[in-house]
Amino acid sequence: MQNYKDRLYNHEATPPPEIWDTISAGLENKGGRIFPMNALRRRSKFIFYGLTAAASLLIIFISSVIFNKSGDNANSKNSQLTENNIGTQKVNDSLTQNNKTLAAIIKSSKDKNPGINNEDDNSISKVKKYITIEGPEGQPVKISPKVATLIESADNEYPPKPVWSKKIDKWKQIMLSSTISLTSTSLLDIAQLSASLDNNE
Amino acid sequence: MNEQSNHNLSESDLIKGCIAGNRQMQEILYYQFSPKMYGVCLRYSGNVEDANDLLQEGFIKIFRNLEKFRADGSFEGWMRRIFVNTSIEHFRKKVKLYNVTEVQENTIEDDELNILDSMAEKDIILLVNELSPGYKAVFNMHVIEGYSHKEIAAILGITEGTSKSQLARAKGVLKKSVEKRMNRTSGDIINT
Repeated sequence: MQNYKDRLYNHEATPPPEIWDTISAGLENKGGRIFPMNALRRRSKFIFYGLTAAASLLIIFISSVIFNKSGDNANSKNSQLTENNIGTQKVNDSLTQNNKTLAAIIKSSKDKNPGINNEDDNSISKVKKYITIEGPEGQPVKISPKVATLIESADNEYPPKPVWSKKIDKWKQIMLSSTISLTSTSLLDIAQLSASLDNNE
Repeated sequence: MNEQSNHNLSESDLIKGCIAGNRQMQEILYYQFSPKMYGVCLRYSGNVEDANDLLQEGFIKIFRNLEKFRADGSFEGWMRRIFVNTSIEHFRKKVKLYNVTEVQENTIEDDELNILDSMAEKDIILLVNELSPGYKAVFNMHVIEGYSHKEIAAILGITEGTSKSQLARAKGVLKKSVEKRMNRTSGDIINT
Protein backbone atom coordinates (compact mmCIF):
# COMPACT_ATOMS: atom_id res chain seq x y z
CA MET A 1 0.00 0.00 0.00
CA GLN A 2 1.27 3.46 -0.96
CA ASN A 3 2.34 5.92 1.73
CA TYR A 4 -0.34 8.51 2.54
CA LYS A 5 2.19 11.25 1.74
CA ASP A 6 2.77 9.93 -1.77
CA ARG A 7 -0.93 9.45 -2.26
CA LEU A 8 -1.61 13.01 -1.27
CA TYR A 9 1.29 14.25 -3.36
CA ASN A 10 0.02 12.45 -6.44
CA HIS A 11 -3.62 13.14 -5.76
CA GLU A 12 -5.40 13.98 -8.98
CA ALA A 13 -8.82 15.43 -9.67
CA THR A 14 -10.60 16.43 -12.86
CA PRO A 15 -11.20 20.17 -13.01
CA PRO A 16 -14.44 21.60 -14.40
CA PRO A 17 -14.27 21.80 -18.24
CA GLU A 18 -15.05 25.53 -18.38
CA ILE A 19 -11.76 26.43 -16.71
CA TRP A 20 -9.79 25.96 -19.92
CA ASP A 21 -12.12 28.37 -21.72
CA THR A 22 -11.46 30.96 -19.02
CA ILE A 23 -7.70 30.39 -19.24
CA SER A 24 -7.80 30.57 -23.03
CA ALA A 25 -9.79 33.80 -22.90
CA GLY A 26 -7.32 35.14 -20.32
CA LEU A 27 -4.37 34.30 -22.55
CA GLU A 28 -5.93 36.05 -25.54
CA ASN A 29 -6.06 39.43 -23.85
CA LYS A 30 -2.42 39.45 -22.82
CA GLY A 31 -2.40 42.96 -21.44
CA GLY A 32 -5.88 42.66 -20.04
CA ARG A 33 -6.67 41.91 -16.47
CA ILE A 34 -7.79 38.39 -15.71
CA PHE A 35 -10.45 38.00 -13.14
CA PRO A 36 -10.49 34.80 -11.14
CA MET A 37 -13.69 32.83 -11.48
CA ASN A 38 -14.65 33.63 -7.91
CA ALA A 39 -14.18 37.31 -8.62
CA LEU A 40 -16.32 36.96 -11.72
CA ARG A 41 -18.92 35.18 -9.65
CA ARG A 42 -18.66 37.89 -7.03
CA ARG A 43 -18.86 40.51 -9.76
CA SER A 44 -21.91 38.85 -11.31
CA LYS A 45 -23.42 38.58 -7.84
CA PHE A 46 -22.67 42.26 -7.32
CA ILE A 47 -24.23 43.08 -10.69
CA PHE A 48 -27.25 40.93 -9.82
CA TYR A 49 -27.70 42.58 -6.44
CA GLY A 50 -27.08 45.98 -7.95
CA LEU A 51 -29.68 45.40 -10.64
CA THR A 52 -32.11 44.06 -8.07
CA ALA A 53 -31.58 47.11 -5.90
CA ALA A 54 -31.96 49.42 -8.91
CA ALA A 55 -35.13 47.64 -10.00
CA SER A 56 -36.52 47.86 -6.47
CA LEU A 57 -35.74 51.56 -6.32
CA LEU A 58 -37.36 52.06 -9.72
CA ILE A 59 -40.48 50.18 -8.62
CA ILE A 60 -40.63 52.20 -5.41
CA PHE A 61 -40.17 55.43 -7.38
CA ILE A 62 -42.85 54.52 -9.95
CA SER A 63 -45.29 53.36 -7.30
CA SER A 64 -44.67 56.51 -5.26
CA VAL A 65 -45.33 58.63 -8.37
CA ILE A 66 -48.53 56.67 -9.08
CA PHE A 67 -49.66 56.92 -5.47
CA ASN A 68 -48.87 60.62 -5.41
CA LYS A 69 -50.99 61.13 -8.51
CA SER A 70 -53.87 59.16 -7.07
CA GLY A 71 -53.31 61.03 -3.81
CA ASP A 72 -53.55 64.31 -5.69
CA ASN A 73 -56.77 63.14 -7.30
CA ALA A 74 -58.07 62.09 -3.94
CA ASN A 75 -56.95 65.41 -2.50
CA SER A 76 -58.64 67.30 -5.31
CA LYS A 77 -61.74 65.20 -4.71
CA ASN A 78 -61.39 65.86 -1.03
CA SER A 79 -60.92 69.54 -1.70
CA GLN A 80 -63.98 69.49 -3.92
CA LEU A 81 -65.83 67.69 -1.19
CA THR A 82 -64.50 70.16 1.31
CA GLU A 83 -65.58 73.01 -0.91
CA ASN A 84 -68.97 71.37 -1.22
CA ASN A 85 -69.03 70.92 2.52
CA ILE A 86 -68.08 74.55 2.98
CA GLY A 87 -70.84 75.49 0.55
CA THR A 88 -73.29 73.30 2.41
CA GLN A 89 -72.07 74.74 5.66
CA LYS A 90 -72.60 78.27 4.32
CA VAL A 91 -76.11 77.37 3.20
CA ASN A 92 -76.79 75.79 6.58
CA ASP A 93 -75.44 78.85 8.34
CA SER A 94 -77.54 81.04 6.13
CA LEU A 95 -80.60 78.91 6.81
CA THR A 96 -79.96 79.02 10.53
CA GLN A 97 -79.67 82.77 10.39
CA ASN A 98 -82.82 83.01 8.27
CA ASN A 99 -84.66 80.85 10.73
CA LYS A 100 -83.44 82.95 13.60
CA THR A 101 -84.57 86.07 11.81
CA LEU A 102 -87.98 84.64 11.05
CA ALA A 103 -88.35 83.31 14.55
CA ALA A 104 -87.52 86.74 15.90
CA ILE A 105 -90.11 88.36 13.59
CA ILE A 106 -92.74 85.87 14.65
CA LYS A 107 -91.94 86.47 18.25
CA SER A 108 -91.97 90.20 17.79
CA SER A 109 -95.37 90.08 16.10
CA LYS A 110 -96.84 88.67 19.29
CA ASP A 111 -96.13 91.99 20.84
CA LYS A 112 -99.20 94.14 20.25
CA ASN A 113 -97.29 97.37 20.39
CA PRO A 114 -94.94 97.46 17.49
CA GLY A 115 -93.80 100.96 18.30
CA ILE A 116 -91.83 99.76 21.28
CA ASN A 117 -88.40 98.64 20.40
CA ASN A 118 -87.96 95.58 22.47
CA GLU A 119 -85.01 93.25 22.64
CA ASP A 120 -86.32 91.05 19.83
CA ASP A 121 -86.40 93.93 17.40
CA ASN A 122 -82.92 94.71 18.38
CA SER A 123 -82.02 91.11 17.95
CA ILE A 124 -83.52 91.15 14.43
CA SER A 125 -81.55 94.17 13.47
CA LYS A 126 -78.55 92.69 15.14
CA VAL A 127 -78.97 89.29 13.53
CA LYS A 128 -79.55 90.30 9.95
CA LYS A 129 -81.03 93.06 7.83
CA TYR A 130 -81.85 90.71 5.00
CA ILE A 131 -82.35 87.06 4.66
CA THR A 132 -81.17 84.96 1.77
CA ILE A 133 -83.51 82.68 -0.05
CA GLU A 134 -83.01 80.41 -2.99
CA GLY A 135 -84.32 81.76 -6.27
CA PRO A 136 -86.28 79.76 -8.87
CA GLU A 137 -83.04 78.79 -10.59
CA GLY A 138 -81.17 78.12 -7.43
CA GLN A 139 -79.53 81.52 -7.23
CA PRO A 140 -79.29 83.22 -3.84
CA VAL A 141 -81.70 86.15 -3.41
CA LYS A 142 -81.57 88.64 -0.58
CA ILE A 143 -84.95 89.85 0.62
CA SER A 144 -86.35 91.73 3.52
CA PRO A 145 -87.39 89.56 6.43
CA LYS A 146 -90.92 90.95 6.29
CA VAL A 147 -91.27 89.88 2.67
CA ALA A 148 -89.85 86.57 3.53
CA THR A 149 -92.79 85.93 5.84
CA LEU A 150 -95.12 86.05 2.83
CA ILE A 151 -93.28 83.40 0.90
CA GLU A 152 -94.25 79.84 1.24
CA SER A 153 -91.73 77.28 0.40
CA ALA A 154 -92.76 74.86 -2.31
CA ASP A 155 -90.96 71.91 -0.83
CA ASN A 156 -91.82 72.80 2.75
CA GLU A 157 -88.18 72.64 3.65
CA TYR A 158 -87.04 76.19 3.23
CA PRO A 159 -87.78 77.93 5.45
CA PRO A 160 -88.85 75.23 7.96
CA LYS A 161 -92.53 74.54 7.76
CA PRO A 162 -93.59 74.91 11.44
CA VAL A 163 -92.36 78.48 11.64
CA TRP A 164 -93.67 79.30 8.22
CA SER A 165 -97.09 77.76 8.80
CA LYS A 166 -97.38 79.45 12.11
CA LYS A 167 -96.65 82.78 10.49
CA ILE A 168 -99.13 82.21 7.67
CA ASP A 169 -101.84 81.25 10.12
CA LYS A 170 -101.14 84.36 12.13
CA TRP A 171 -101.44 86.55 9.03
CA LYS A 172 -104.71 84.90 8.10
CA GLN A 173 -106.11 85.68 11.50
CA ILE A 174 -104.95 89.28 11.26
CA MET A 175 -106.54 89.65 7.81
CA LEU A 176 -109.84 88.17 8.99
CA SER A 177 -110.03 90.33 12.07
CA SER A 178 -109.04 93.53 10.28
CA THR A 179 -111.84 96.04 9.55
CA ILE A 180 -109.97 97.48 6.62
CA SER A 181 -109.89 94.26 4.88
CA LEU A 182 -112.59 93.46 2.30
CA THR A 183 -115.65 91.58 3.55
CA SER A 184 -119.03 90.75 1.93
CA THR A 185 -120.84 93.61 3.81
CA SER A 186 -118.19 96.13 3.05
CA LEU A 187 -118.48 95.22 -0.60
CA LEU A 188 -122.22 96.13 -0.56
CA ASP A 189 -121.37 99.41 1.11
CA ILE A 190 -118.96 100.18 -1.65
CA ALA A 191 -121.57 99.33 -4.25
CA GLN A 192 -124.11 101.63 -2.54
CA LEU A 193 -121.57 104.41 -2.29
CA SER A 194 -120.73 104.21 -5.93
CA ALA A 195 -124.50 104.22 -6.85
CA SER A 196 -125.15 107.36 -4.76
CA LEU A 197 -122.21 109.07 -6.38
CA ASP A 198 -123.64 108.29 -9.77
CA ASN A 199 -127.01 109.72 -8.71
CA ASN A 200 -125.43 112.89 -7.46
CA GLU A 201 -123.81 113.44 -10.79
CA MET B 1 -5.37 17.10 -32.60
CA ASN B 2 -5.81 13.40 -31.90
CA GLU B 3 -4.50 11.36 -28.99
CA GLN B 4 -1.88 9.59 -31.15
CA SER B 5 -0.21 12.86 -32.06
CA ASN B 6 -0.40 13.96 -28.39
CA HIS B 7 1.65 10.95 -27.34
CA ASN B 8 4.23 11.65 -30.03
CA LEU B 9 4.84 15.13 -28.69
CA SER B 10 7.79 15.40 -26.35
CA GLU B 11 7.65 17.64 -23.29
CA SER B 12 10.19 20.03 -24.79
CA ASP B 13 8.19 20.30 -28.04
CA LEU B 14 5.12 21.00 -26.02
CA ILE B 15 6.90 23.69 -24.03
CA LYS B 16 8.34 25.25 -27.20
CA GLY B 17 4.88 25.26 -28.80
CA CYS B 18 3.39 26.88 -25.72
CA ILE B 19 6.11 29.54 -25.64
CA ALA B 20 5.37 30.25 -29.34
CA GLY B 21 1.77 30.90 -28.32
CA ASN B 22 0.31 27.85 -30.05
CA ARG B 23 -3.12 27.54 -28.44
CA GLN B 24 -3.43 23.83 -29.28
CA MET B 25 -0.13 23.08 -27.56
CA GLN B 26 -1.23 25.06 -24.56
CA GLU B 27 -4.47 23.11 -24.46
CA ILE B 28 -2.59 19.79 -24.60
CA LEU B 29 -0.28 20.90 -21.80
CA TYR B 30 -3.27 22.01 -19.77
CA TYR B 31 -5.13 18.70 -20.14
CA GLN B 32 -1.95 16.77 -19.42
CA PHE B 33 -1.13 18.47 -16.13
CA SER B 34 -4.39 19.97 -14.92
CA PRO B 35 -5.59 16.90 -12.91
CA LYS B 36 -2.39 16.81 -10.84
CA MET B 37 -2.30 20.57 -10.38
CA TYR B 38 -5.99 20.61 -9.52
CA GLY B 39 -5.18 18.06 -6.79
CA VAL B 40 -2.59 20.48 -5.38
CA CYS B 41 -5.06 23.34 -5.52
CA LEU B 42 -7.74 21.32 -3.75
CA ARG B 43 -5.32 20.32 -1.03
CA TYR B 44 -4.35 23.90 -0.27
CA SER B 45 -7.67 25.62 -0.77
CA GLY B 46 -9.99 23.06 0.75
CA ASN B 47 -12.90 24.03 -1.45
CA VAL B 48 -13.73 23.67 -5.13
CA GLU B 49 -14.41 27.36 -5.84
CA ASP B 50 -11.02 28.51 -4.59
CA ALA B 51 -9.35 25.53 -6.27
CA ASN B 52 -10.85 26.55 -9.62
CA ASP B 53 -9.50 30.06 -9.19
CA LEU B 54 -6.09 28.77 -8.22
CA LEU B 55 -5.94 26.43 -11.21
CA GLN B 56 -6.87 29.20 -13.60
CA GLU B 57 -4.45 31.69 -12.07
CA GLY B 58 -1.65 29.12 -11.90
CA PHE B 59 -1.93 28.06 -15.55
CA ILE B 60 -2.00 31.64 -16.79
CA LYS B 61 1.17 32.30 -14.77
CA ILE B 62 2.75 29.19 -16.26
CA PHE B 63 1.91 30.09 -19.87
CA ARG B 64 3.11 33.65 -19.40
CA ASN B 65 6.38 32.62 -17.70
CA LEU B 66 7.17 29.44 -19.58
CA GLU B 67 10.29 30.92 -21.20
CA LYS B 68 11.74 31.30 -17.69
CA PHE B 69 11.70 27.52 -17.20
CA ARG B 70 15.21 26.10 -17.26
CA ALA B 71 15.37 22.42 -18.04
CA ASP B 72 17.67 21.69 -15.07
CA GLY B 73 14.76 20.27 -13.07
CA SER B 74 11.52 18.46 -13.84
CA PHE B 75 8.87 20.46 -15.60
CA GLU B 76 6.17 19.04 -13.36
CA GLY B 77 8.16 20.06 -10.27
CA TRP B 78 8.47 23.61 -11.64
CA MET B 79 4.76 23.73 -12.35
CA ARG B 80 3.92 22.35 -8.92
CA ARG B 81 6.07 24.98 -7.25
CA ILE B 82 4.20 27.69 -9.14
CA PHE B 83 0.89 26.21 -8.01
CA VAL B 84 2.04 25.91 -4.41
CA ASN B 85 3.24 29.52 -4.44
CA THR B 86 0.01 30.67 -6.04
CA SER B 87 -1.96 28.78 -3.39
CA ILE B 88 0.13 30.23 -0.58
CA GLU B 89 -0.20 33.72 -2.04
CA HIS B 90 -3.94 33.21 -2.18
CA PHE B 91 -3.92 31.80 1.33
CA ARG B 92 -1.83 34.69 2.68
CA LYS B 93 -4.36 37.16 1.31
CA LYS B 94 -7.02 35.45 3.37
CA VAL B 95 -5.23 34.43 6.53
CA LYS B 96 -2.52 36.20 8.42
CA LEU B 97 -0.21 34.01 10.42
CA TYR B 98 1.21 35.61 13.50
CA ASN B 99 4.54 34.65 14.98
CA VAL B 100 3.90 32.98 18.26
CA THR B 101 6.18 32.49 21.19
CA GLU B 102 7.89 29.23 20.63
CA VAL B 103 6.52 26.65 23.00
CA GLN B 104 7.57 23.09 23.46
CA GLU B 105 4.97 21.14 21.59
CA ASN B 106 4.43 17.44 22.07
CA THR B 107 6.10 16.21 18.97
CA ILE B 108 4.04 13.75 17.03
CA GLU B 109 6.14 11.50 14.96
CA ASP B 110 5.12 10.88 11.40
CA ASP B 111 4.77 7.20 12.27
CA GLU B 112 1.81 8.04 14.45
CA LEU B 113 0.02 9.27 11.38
CA ASN B 114 0.77 6.13 9.43
CA ILE B 115 -2.73 5.04 10.23
CA LEU B 116 -3.67 7.37 7.40
CA ASP B 117 -2.08 4.89 5.01
CA SER B 118 -5.01 2.55 5.54
CA MET B 119 -7.52 5.20 4.69
CA ALA B 120 -8.96 6.04 1.32
CA GLU B 121 -7.37 8.96 -0.50
CA LYS B 122 -10.67 10.86 -0.53
CA ASP B 123 -10.98 10.52 3.26
CA ILE B 124 -7.42 11.69 3.86
CA ILE B 125 -8.08 14.76 1.73
CA LEU B 126 -11.23 15.45 3.75
CA LEU B 127 -9.32 15.17 7.03
CA VAL B 128 -6.56 17.48 5.83
CA ASN B 129 -9.11 19.97 4.61
CA GLU B 130 -10.69 20.02 8.05
CA LEU B 131 -7.50 21.62 9.38
CA SER B 132 -7.40 25.38 9.83
CA PRO B 133 -5.80 27.26 6.88
CA GLY B 134 -2.56 27.92 8.77
CA TYR B 135 -2.11 24.31 9.90
CA LYS B 136 -3.09 23.00 6.51
CA ALA B 137 -0.55 25.16 4.66
CA VAL B 138 2.34 24.16 6.92
CA PHE B 139 1.30 20.49 6.91
CA ASN B 140 1.01 20.38 3.12
CA MET B 141 4.25 22.21 2.56
CA HIS B 142 6.33 20.24 5.02
CA VAL B 143 4.82 16.76 5.06
CA ILE B 144 3.54 16.42 1.48
CA GLU B 145 5.66 18.83 -0.58
CA GLY B 146 8.82 18.34 1.48
CA TYR B 147 9.66 22.01 2.16
CA SER B 148 11.99 22.64 5.06
CA HIS B 149 10.85 24.80 7.97
CA LYS B 150 13.30 27.44 6.81
CA GLU B 151 11.67 27.55 3.37
CA ILE B 152 8.20 27.58 4.86
CA ALA B 153 9.18 30.42 7.19
CA ALA B 154 10.53 32.41 4.24
CA ILE B 155 7.49 31.82 2.06
CA LEU B 156 4.88 32.42 4.74
CA GLY B 157 6.77 35.24 6.45
CA ILE B 158 6.92 33.55 9.83
CA THR B 159 9.70 32.23 12.02
CA GLU B 160 10.96 28.67 11.81
CA GLY B 161 9.72 28.11 15.34
CA THR B 162 6.21 29.17 14.37
CA SER B 163 6.34 26.84 11.40
CA LYS B 164 7.38 23.95 13.62
CA SER B 165 4.76 24.66 16.23
CA GLN B 166 2.06 25.02 13.57
CA LEU B 167 3.07 21.67 12.14
CA ALA B 168 3.03 19.97 15.55
CA ARG B 169 -0.44 21.34 16.25
CA ALA B 170 -1.62 20.35 12.80
CA LYS B 171 -0.44 16.80 13.35
CA GLY B 172 -2.12 16.71 16.76
CA VAL B 173 -5.45 17.84 15.33
CA LEU B 174 -5.12 15.40 12.48
CA LYS B 175 -4.33 12.52 14.83
CA LYS B 176 -7.38 13.30 16.97
CA SER B 177 -9.58 13.49 13.88
CA VAL B 178 -8.27 10.13 12.66
CA GLU B 179 -8.87 8.50 16.05
CA LYS B 180 -12.37 9.92 16.23
CA ARG B 181 -13.08 8.67 12.76
CA MET B 182 -11.67 5.24 13.53
CA ASN B 183 -13.77 4.95 16.71
CA ARG B 184 -16.88 5.94 14.77
CA THR B 185 -16.12 3.40 12.07
CA SER B 186 -15.47 0.58 14.58
CA GLY B 187 -18.70 1.51 16.40
CA ASP B 188 -20.60 1.29 13.15
CA ILE B 189 -19.11 -2.13 12.44
CA ILE B 190 -20.09 -3.40 15.94
CA ASN B 191 -23.62 -2.08 15.56
CA THR B 192 -24.06 -3.82 12.23
